[in-house]
Amino acid sequence: MGAPEEHYAFDFYPLESAQHTRIAPFFDHLREGRLTTTKCRACGVVLWQPRVVCAHCHGQEMEWVDLPSEGTVFAHTAVLAGAPIGFEEDVPFVVAIVQLAGTDLRVVARIDGAQYEDLKIGDPVSLKVVFLQDGRVWFRFVPKR
Amino acid sequence: MRKVAIVGCGLTKWGVRAATYKELAQEVSHSLFADIRDLDRGEVDSLIVGSALVDRLAFQAYPAPVVAEQMGLTPTRMCMRTEMACVSGQAAIRAAYTSIASGLSDIAIVVGIEKMNLPNLAETQASMACVLDREWDGVNGLNAPPYFALVAQRHMHEYGTTREQMGLVKVKNAEYGATNPTAHFPKAVSLEKVLASPMIAPPLRLLDCSGITDGAAAVVMTHGDLARRFTDTPVFIEGLGQATDGSLVVNLKSLTTWYPLRAAARDALKMAGVGVGDMDLAEVHDCFTISEIIEYEDLGLCPKGQGGKFIEDGQSRIGGTLPVNLRGGLLACGHPLGATGVAQAIEVVQQFKAQVPKERHVGGEWGLCHNLSGSANNHAVMVLHRGG
Repeated sequence: MGAPEEHYAFDFYPLESAQHTRIAPFFDHLREGRLTTTKCRACGVVLWQPRVVCAHCHGQEMEWVDLPSEGTVFAHTAVLAGAPIGFEEDVPFVVAIVQLAGTDLRVVARIDGAQYEDLKIGDPVSLKVVFLQDGRVWFRFVPKR
Repeated sequence: MRKVAIVGCGLTKWGVRAATYKELAQEVSHSLFADIRDLDRGEVDSLIVGSALVDRLAFQAYPAPVVAEQMGLTPTRMCMRTEMACVSGQAAIRAAYTSIASGLSDIAIVVGIEKMNLPNLAETQASMACVLDREWDGVNGLNAPPYFALVAQRHMHEYGTTREQMGLVKVKNAEYGATNPTAHFPKAVSLEKVLASPMIAPPLRLLDCSGITDGAAAVVMTHGDLARRFTDTPVFIEGLGQATDGSLVVNLKSLTTWYPLRAAARDALKMAGVGVGDMDLAEVHDCFTISEIIEYEDLGLCPKGQGGKFIEDGQSRIGGTLPVNLRGGLLACGHPLGATGVAQAIEVVQQFKAQVPKERHVGGEWGLCHNLSGSANNHAVMVLHRGG
C-alpha cells in the first residue's frame, strides 16, 4: 500500500506517515487500538497533543506513553447544522470533551453510537478507532456498555 | 508616548451582501471620508487592515495593498494586515495605536473587513473550524457553535445558568440593534422566539448565535496634537490589554472562567487609571449568548456564576449597572470577523458624539470594548475616553 496521503487534497485529518510528520508512531499505535501521547524524558511532563519538543522545558527527548482507552464525558454537544466541508454527510453527530480515566488529560473527540440526548456529563465512554477511506486512521469514543 | 485618538468613523451595511471583499473596502472608504471631510487621502501615512479569513473566503492573500488600492491610499510609514481571527479588528487598532503613540505614524486608517457568505457555506464553516487547532480540535467537527455549546453546557452545569437567561441576552441585543440600520438583523425578537429557533448545537439555538455576515468598518486615528483638527470630540484610547492562552481547547485552564479576559481588562483599566465601575457603556463580544453572560462575570460586573442573574435583573440594560452592546452586539449586527472589533469602537465614539438614535443613546465619557477570538483563548480590551 502506498502512503495514504498520496492523493491528498486539504482536509481536516492530519498527514500521518513518517514521510510527513515526526509523530507518525501516534498513528501506528492507533492502528493497534492504543491511544498514546508523548512524555518528556527531561522534565517528565505528559502533554496532549503528542510533540517532538516539550512545551515546558523545551527538551527534545520524548517517549511514547499509553493513555487510558476509557474516560468520561466532561462536556458534549451535537452538530445539527453548519458542519464544515467534508462533515456535512455525518450530521447529526456528537462531539465531546472526554476526560481520560485516572489522568488530568482531556481530548476532544466525536462520540459514535449516541445522540445528544442519550448522554450526560460524567457518562463513561471507551475508545473507538476509525479508518478513513484513504487508509488514514483517527479516534472517536463510544458509550461504554 | 503620544496620546492617540479616534477622529473619524466609517461603516458599511452589514449582512448577506451582494458585494465582494474589495467592494466592501470601497464602500467603507466612502463612508469614512464622508465623516472626516478635512482629511486628504494623501495625508494618511499608515494603513492597518484587520481581516481574519480573507485568504480562504475571498481567495486573496496579502490584503493590505489590495485595500490600499481600493481606498486610494499610498501609506508611507506603516502598512500591514492583522490576523487574530475574531480579534483581528481590535488587533488592527492596537497596531495603529502603537505606531502612532511611538511617533512612527501620524495619521492611520484602520479597516476591518470580512466577506463570509459564499455560495457554499460549508466552505465558510470549514474555515471557521480552522480557527481552532485544525488537526486535534477542528478535525472532530468542532467549530464555533459546538465549541460555545460545550461552554454553555458547562456553565449551566457549574452555575445553574438557565436557557431563558441566555435567551434574554439575545432579546436585549436585538432590541437595541433594531435601532441600528447597519445591523444584519435590525429587528426585536421575543424570548419565546429565541427559545423556539432551530437547534444548532445543543443547548445553543440559531438565535443564540451571531450571524455569518459580510461587512466593513473603518476609523481614522491620529495623535493628540492633530486630533482637534478633525473633530471637536476626539475619542482617546486610554487603556489597552490583551492576553492569550494556547490553542488546544482541552488545555485551557477553564471553559467557563475566561482568565485571559480578566487579565486584559485588568491591564486596560489600570493603564487608563479607572475601574470598571467608571464605565458609562461597554461593547462586549457576544458571539453567542453565553459569551456575554461570562463576560459580565469576568469583567467584574457581578460575582462569578451570577451572569445569568445579571441579565435577568436588567443590569446590562440602559438604566442598569452598565449598558452593554447598545449597537446590538454581534448577535444583532452579525460578525464579519475582522470588522467587529472596529465597529465596537465606532459605537463608543458615536455614543460620545451623540450620533446614535436616541433610543439607545447613553453618551457619557468612558467606554470599554471587549473583543475575543477562537475558543475564547484570546481577549483584547480597550478603554476609551471622550475628549472635548
